[in-house]
Amino acid sequence: MDWRRLDPRMIAVHVSWLAAPAASLLLTLLISGGRLELRSWLTLAGVTLGFLTFTTIGIATWAKTRYRITADAVEVRTGMFIKTLRTVRLNRIRNVDLTASPVHRIFGVTTLRIGTAGSNDTGSEIKLDALSRTDAQALRAELLAHVTRAAAQDPVVSVMNPRWLRYAPLTFWVFGGVVLVLGLGYRALEAIGIEAWRLPLVQQLAVEFGSSALWLTIPLVLLASTLLGVIGALGLYLENWWHYRLEWVSDHLLRVRRGLLTTRSVSIERNRLFGVLLREPLLLRAGGGATVKVVAGGLGNEEQDSARSAVLPPAPLPEALRVTAGVLREPVGPLVDPVLAGHPRVALRRRIVRGLLFVTAPLLVVQGILGWLLTDVLLHLAWSTALASLPFVLWFARDAYRNLGHGLSGSYLLTRSGTFSRDTAALRRDDVLSWTFTDSPFARRAGVVTLTAAVATAAGGYRVPDMAAADSAGFADRAVPGILTEFLDRDAEGEQLPAEFADCGAGGPVGADGAR
Amino acid sequence: MTMLNTSAPRLRPPRYRVDPSARRWWTVQALLTVTGPAFLVALTMTTLSLLFFPGALGWLGPLLLGVLVLPGLGYLLVMPPWRYRVHAWELGEHAVYSASGWFWQRRRITPLTKVQTVDTVIGPIQRGFGLATVIVTTASTAGDVRISGLAMDEANELARRIGEAAAVEEA
Repeated sequence: MDWRRLDPRMIAVHVSWLAAPAASLLLTLLISGGRLELRSWLTLAGVTLGFLTFTTIGIATWAKTRYRITADAVEVRTGMFIKTLRTVRLNRIRNVDLTASPVHRIFGVTTLRIGTAGSNDTGSEIKLDALSRTDAQALRAELLAHVTRAAAQDPVVSVMNPRWLRYAPLTFWVFGGVVLVLGLGYRALEAIGIEAWRLPLVQQLAVEFGSSALWLTIPLVLLASTLLGVIGALGLYLENWWHYRLEWVSDHLLRVRRGLLTTRSVSIERNRLFGVLLREPLLLRAGGGATVKVVAGGLGNEEQDSARSAVLPPAPLPEALRVTAGVLREPVGPLVDPVLAGHPRVALRRRIVRGLLFVTAPLLVVQGILGWLLTDVLLHLAWSTALASLPFVLWFARDAYRNLGHGLSGSYLLTRSGTFSRDTAALRRDDVLSWTFTDSPFARRAGVVTLTAAVATAAGGYRVPDMAAADSAGFADRAVPGILTEFLDRDAEGEQLPAEFADCGAGGPVGADGAR
Repeated sequence: MTMLNTSAPRLRPPRYRVDPSARRWWTVQALLTVTGPAFLVALTMTTLSLLFFPGALGWLGPLLLGVLVLPGLGYLLVMPPWRYRVHAWELGEHAVYSASGWFWQRRRITPLTKVQTVDTVIGPIQRGFGLATVIVTTASTAGDVRISGLAMDEANELARRIGEAAAVEEA
């Protein structure tokens, strides 16, 4: 392949830096009514100059950068004053990810980053900023094809990357962080003998809030608490995950080390590692991120297990998928583009009914009773909130239904479910030690059953919720042959599930038991 | 292994029912844990209301009837026979299989190779009916099998057979 340039549309991206000074000029003109003082001119000129420098550097970098893919390496030539040539051998590449800022998106270009094993400082990765979307995707596919068995044998699975911090605000702690930050501040003041509520500033604020223009102050307070939440979430992320390193210290010992102030280190034996769990909580999923947990025995009780089994902080999904493969020591993990069978439509109906029962109905009933007892306003509130909850219920039910899936991939059993946290588990089929089928009269009428695979972990079982009852026994038998073979009926009678039976031993083995 | 017919295999129910006197045991259990307490609460509240707020009986009576008395009575009458229709067990060649529950039903199959311990537990009420529960534990809480409501000698025999079969399978 010859030396190639980056996408020419990058010039437009770099020029768009100038939008900032242009906007501030416009705003200043608007506010001042067109008459500008010398001081404003000077500031504007300074700002413009600054951004012009950015743009110039950007365009020059674009003009000087060339890249090519040879038979065994990626080479990037760049440099204005200092010429550099960076070469990364294809078999050292561990991850390739594509990112696009909103401005990049407008112009249809994408930044491609090539990371190597153990590269956590941004200096040792290659960044091509930017390629057209189609080029980037083609190049990524080409490079990933080289991420071969070498990756599966690499002892270092993953290390902290500061760019993952952008996922911290997408965790629950963006809400919990507010309380955390305020609480810490309060405690700190208390420690030096100041009661926060007595501070004249705080009291003044409280008084003024009541008498202020609420349409303005409420959004401001929300903004401030979001900021606090982000700070809290970032702080927690740093404390929990800084210096994170996930590696195979020997052939049969996986070790996670992490923590800024408190260093935590967890070692997991390979023979007690039964699988891996990819978790995508709602916010994180919307931001294209995920976390990874191991499914392993001997990590203590359920509470300890949930802290010890985490092997990846909130991080980009491609990285998470790579880690799932690395933890299982597979060249391509079973969770990369998994083929999952969907569940019957009835499962969607059941989720909608569940939402109506547990969200809409309580809203209606509780407020209705209160309204009937106290005031008519609540009655109107009752039907309006119930009505307003309908689209949410429908959306979540639909999402929950679409996330349902199960399948087999090589030596793994896959199951996916959940909407607030979409969890995909890959369990080693050999490590499943029991099957459980659960249902209720409603499920029996709908012809679905929940199948649980037991594994020797603190959590115990992994569920395949609401799968077609007719397929469940066959799936379980295919997944882990031998466990329930002797209790199967292979007759062609179309009865769904014998919920009741008149006398013992009804329906003995009729059909042929298969070739032995 | 090739399947000779193409229909999806079904899981058949386990072969053996539990002891018929288990119904009486479940009835007593229901009385002690659900129905009895519910009746007691209803009775106490009715008495208090009669003594102190006679006017409240008009709405309290139907409320107590609907929330405590009828559900308690329903549970007492419905649960034991329903459970008896569901509960069943079977010790196969390679696995132990049990069905339990009543409204929410559970069927669990655990291979004998995964069995860690086999216990026979006899509760105070069970003893009165001559019943016992066999608990088969594995390395996972989601793999433990409980077969309750067996006659005592049957339970001991089953526990012994599971233990032996597990040892054979292990070898």
